[in-house]
Amino acid sequence: MRTTTEGTAPARSRAFRGLPAFFWTEVLVQANELTAMATSMVIQGVVLVFVWILDPSLLGIAFVGALIFSMFTMGQRLLNEAAYIRIDHKANDLYLASPLSPEGYFLGMAGGILFVYITPVIVMGILAEIVVRFTLPEVALLLALCLCVWISSASIGYTFSTFFRDNRAIWAYASLFFTTFGVVFPVFYPLTAFPAGLQPIALLLPPSAAASLMQAAIGAIPVVTSRILFAAIALVAETTALFGFAIYWARRTVREG
Amino acid sequence: MSAEPLRSHDLRKVYQSRGAPPTTALAGVSLEVHRGERVALLGRNGAGKTTFLRIASTLLRPTSGTIEIFGHDADRDPELARPLIAVVPQEGKPFFHLTPYEQVYTYLRARGFSREVGKARTAEALEKMGLTDIQDRLAITLSGGQRQRTMVATVIATEAPLLFLDEPTIGMDPFARRAVWDALRELTRRGSTMLLTTHYLDEAEALSDRLYIIDRGRVLVKGTAEELKASVGGTLKVTLAKGAERRPLFESFGECVVDGSSCTVIVSPEKLGELMAVAVREQLTATVGPVTLEEAFLRFVGRSINEDDN
Repeated sequence: MRTTTEGTAPARSRAFRGLPAFFWTEVLVQANELTAMATSMVIQGVVLVFVWILDPSLLGIAFVGALIFSMFTMGQRLLNEAAYIRIDHKANDLYLASPLSPEGYFLGMAGGILFVYITPVIVMGILAEIVVRFTLPEVALLLALCLCVWISSASIGYTFSTFFRDNRAIWAYASLFFTTFGVVFPVFYPLTAFPAGLQPIALLLPPSAAASLMQAAIGAIPVVTSRILFAAIALVAETTALFGFAIYWARRTVREG
Repeated sequence: MSAEPLRSHDLRKVYQSRGAPPTTALAGVSLEVHRGERVALLGRNGAGKTTFLRIASTLLRPTSGTIEIFGHDADRDPELARPLIAVVPQEGKPFFHLTPYEQVYTYLRARGFSREVGKARTAEALEKMGLTDIQDRLAITLSGGQRQRTMVATVIATEAPLLFLDEPTIGMDPFARRAVWDALRELTRRGSTMLLTTHYLDEAEALSDRLYIIDRGRVLVKGTAEELKASVGGTLKVTLAKGAERRPLFESFGECVVDGSSCTVIVSPEKLGELMAVAVREQLTATVGPVTLEEAFLRFVGRSINEDDN
């Protein structure tokens, strides 16, 4: 046998092993499918046009919502992608029965999608800056919120992807998530327009919590300390918990029982 | 890595599913694969081959029993086993939006190979699989056979110490199959060990040093192809068209297997002349050929390899 031991080195305690390489694998996969990337912001764009026609004063809020929701949909792409690779291609066996760590597989895929699909979000961000005129702290807050939403969404997406045996069943759930997280609850419109009694529920959903925090930061809704604290704690706690669970689940579901 | 590449003992797998009775996929499989061997698991659909391979490749937990990869418990310490194995999954497909070159190269990188080694191994594996001319086409534009060759190239490029190949040549044309066989033979010459499943009897015979015939989750017999064929009781088979109803006339020459209206008799070369004389007398059309694994399979399993349970 040739003497190289590359690729066969002992792997114990090598968490996240192979993450950068699998990240680039996914980048290549996504980059070879540019039409999907180019059309990824159509829905957000349509919503913005609706808002502009109905009430241009809400355009700033809608732009913030579009940015946050784009991060959510990017995470949700993982639901389709991970299930597609596992169910249609059966290629996950190739990767998981190898030194590549399960968390490297999960995060590499999530990161690769993010890397490719972030370009239209940046364009949207530039347009949002023109409309809203963010301050530097607001930009920092927006970035942090987008990160939280993406992590929580990708974690939900990957975890859910493991439950399905048929890709067609996923479509229904994907549109359910899309409608619940982005249309029904306040992301593209002010939290204050949502029934007061149901606002705590809205703030438990990562996109709505993030949107509400950003709406308060740019002065689009009144600053209510208790509400801000609730939204911030919920978002951070949920993001941490969902991410931790997704890592645990990725490791656990490498093997079927 | 002084231990055997693969050793299983009394491996059992029972699938539980809600609303249905448990299904026993493996009912106590014990087998060994020695260093540098190519071993085939031969069996009909549903015999348990893929279940065994998935347990061995750390992707499925057994219900009971033990399985070791180079001495590492594949169930308890899968992280120690995984760097030593590579798997061609059954019906696995490459990423449609990667080219064969990207597929193989990125896989090697994900396994921890350096850029230099990755590039060299990728070029070599693609050449062996006859994919060099199409290495820059997206897999979505390739034929099923070309995609399958890409999967095999991906795995052989690793030169992992232990390779698992689940139906590796399915969907390939005869030339491509032979290219895969050559590549696999070369890999074992270099020191890799191989366990493959197949239901192509010619592939099992041409490629494997040893065979395990599996049926309903049990190992029925093991040995080399020659040993299994020898156990049939002769080296020649004579197929007599419309000979089923005259079977009693031929039973004294050797084992007779009736398949529809024809009857196949296993004979030694010494008895062939006498048997042919009877066939001529009875005005039966006879075809003579060497005994193949098919006869051995039929003898041990009782059914053709392409015959399903139902």
